[in-house]
Amino acid sequence: MNETECGAVRELLPGFATNRLGARDAEYVEAHLPGCAECREELELVQSLFAARPQPPVDPAEQILAGVHAERRGGSRPWWGISAAAVAALAIGVGIASDPDAVPTEAPEYATELAEGDLWLSDGGLVAGAPTLEGLSDEALQALFDELTAGSAGGAV
Amino acid sequence: MSALVQRYHGASYRVALSVVSDSDTAMDVAQDTFLKAFRALDRFRGDASFKTWLLTITANEARGALRKRQRRQETSIDDAGPISADGIDPAEAAAITDESTRARTMLERLPEKQKLSVSLRIDEGLSFREIGDVIGSSEGAARVNYFHGIRRLREMME
Repeated sequence: MNETECGAVRELLPGFATNRLGARDAEYVEAHLPGCAECREELELVQSLFAARPQPPVDPAEQILAGVHAERRGGSRPWWGISAAAVAALAIGVGIASDPDAVPTEAPEYATELAEGDLWLSDGGLVAGAPTLEGLSDEALQALFDELTAGSAGGAV
Repeated sequence: MSALVQRYHGASYRVALSVVSDSDTAMDVAQDTFLKAFRALDRFRGDASFKTWLLTITANEARGALRKRQRRQETSIDDAGPISADGIDPAEAAAITDESTRARTMLERLPEKQKLSVSLRIDEGLSFREIGDVIGSSEGAARVNYFHGIRRLREMME
């Protein structure tokens, strides 16, 4: 069997072994294999490797999603970024209402923890409107978060 | 988001495992990868597939985890002996008869770039160009790494 054909076939073997090839390429490989022991041996190796490819011991999807959600809810910096964006969004009327009775009269302690230079800092170092967020339910905050991050996430979340 | 995790966590786990050779660490790396990826989605430019981009982050995260582990081992007086692939002793590996398991065991012994090239090509169906992106090499180097890895595996399996 000529080397050029073997070279082309060997490039295709992983796709062939895993049924990822188009019909034309698959036929090309099938036509080559009966006359080439070398390529058949390599196909066996590729099939063996694919058959025993590692799988996560447990489905980590829930764990990963929990981590992402926890970061959204509890992460300090990312959460603050969103808090500020949420404040801005509230100011221009996104439409999520808060309970006026729940609005504290003083800024919360964490409102002063931000470093200078953060875009959402007011001149006085307080987050304008931050107390308003205190009155929002978790569900409302999450909805707002999702809405605000949808743009930056390219709609993929 | 859930769909992305469901679709790609296996690939991320396998790439991490190829680098760190430890299941628990690979799981942690996969999780960290998704957190980082979602944080940085706005920087995903779309000039690579999402899968390639994610696996590149995974490989970088895994190398970082490996370096951390190696530093810990260097400072630990309790560590003795070399770390083998996923805790498999070379003598034990020689006794493995199942061809598939044996092939994977041998794969773990290849240099990192060969191992990743073979794994990404066969397990994940990546093109050589995409593999090059993940391992930080050119398309040609990825191809060479793949074929060297396959040739070495065939020799080891004989």
